[in-house]
Amino acid sequence: MEPNQNKPDLDLESDDTDFLPRRRFLNLAGAGLLTIGFGSLAEGGVGAVSEPLNQQVESLIFQPQKLVPELPISAIEPDKLIINSFRGTPPINLANYRLIIDGAVDNPLSLSITEVQRLPFTSMVIRHVCVEGWAAIVQWGGVKLRDLIAIAKPSTQAKYAYFYSADGYYESWDLDSVMHPQTLMAYQKNSQPLEAANGAPLRLASPVKLGYKLSKWVTRIELTSELGEKQGYWEDLGYEWYAGL
Amino acid sequence: MRSPIQKPATKVFHWVSLVSLFLMITSGLQIYNANPVFGGREGLHIPAILGLGGWLAGGRHWHFAIMWIFVLNLLWYGVYVLLTHHWQHRYMSGKDVKALLVGENPKRKNYAWHRLVYTLLIPILLLSVFTGIGMYKPAQFYWIVDSFGGWEALRITHFMAVPITLILAGLHSQLGRKVGGDRLLDSMFWE
Repeated sequence: MEPNQNKPDLDLESDDTDFLPRRRFLNLAGAGLLTIGFGSLAEGGVGAVSEPLNQQVESLIFQPQKLVPELPISAIEPDKLIINSFRGTPPINLANYRLIIDGAVDNPLSLSITEVQRLPFTSMVIRHVCVEGWAAIVQWGGVKLRDLIAIAKPSTQAKYAYFYSADGYYESWDLDSVMHPQTLMAYQKNSQPLEAANGAPLRLASPVKLGYKLSKWVTRIELTSELGEKQGYWEDLGYEWYAGL
Repeated sequence: MRSPIQKPATKVFHWVSLVSLFLMITSGLQIYNANPVFGGREGLHIPAILGLGGWLAGGRHWHFAIMWIFVLNLLWYGVYVLLTHHWQHRYMSGKDVKALLVGENPKRKNYAWHRLVYTLLIPILLLSVFTGIGMYKPAQFYWIVDSFGGWEALRITHFMAVPITLILAGLHSQLGRKVGGDRLLDSMFWE
């Protein structure tokens, strides 16, 4: 091999130790890419092992009665709330609209939107956080879900709530998060009546769950004692069920 | 010259840090790509081949599984260096600052740079844990979000740990070779 005349003479001691040798670099890069490849194939197993543990910790540190501090009206970010839905906005005829609350309750309900709006009104300015990583500060107005559930008189067996939407979306929640004082069935957003694309006439809004738990166009709430095989549209595809904030 | 010797605890910490950090960064990049920190959905994406998990849910599975190993590793080692008083001579000290500023010996200077760089890695990794808790549980740890002035700043800070860590880790490996050559590397990884 010819001596390289142009080699910069930075440090007489260092020689070949100056830079990571190419072969070692390629070995490391190869190992890294293999790890990513096989690791990506194994993501389901990793979730199956870690999710029950994470969920235990998450529900342990969740304080069902503690209010999340609210933000000032001036902090609202009207442009940041991205509209996500899995198959677009469903047509809803307000005259026929009913919110059903049934399942493990002693007093099943079927309420029109005016009947819902007659119940005590709550407004909150909170941070809406999406699983994708973005967040928006939003004002939501509506009725506390716990007030609705109280009227329906939940039985002692009730542990979960299923939310069914007009577009076929479905979700399930733990009862603690359902009964959190800042979990609303909202019909107002940023001081305006809720728009169809945002879930009118009635949607979930809460600071304690990720956005995909906050169903739009809710038509039925069913309390259950068990979680079924189906747990939610995104959950059944592989996303985390608890999704607490 | 005496061959460098590392304590088994140090080697375990170094290995677990290296592997868990690789998994945290690659799964973090997968999550990042769902809605890039810079520019949103139309923004600056990371090449998909660098993302661990294959899709957003998979990236989250890895990130929220390995976070325990990553954090507990930092925790036990922190307790260990405190209890054994290793922190007093293992990390950047006034002597190193002096060597860098007024020292004449280039070898001593390299050694000081080496100590500076790996010492800097620790606050950066702790900051990524702190910002990570804020993003994982922003309702319960709202004060973490508030302390950064909002969600966007928190996200950017959490993400910036990636390039900073990569740069510091690159410097760390080069300086390690410069200071101790293959013997130092072998002492940390294998022997």
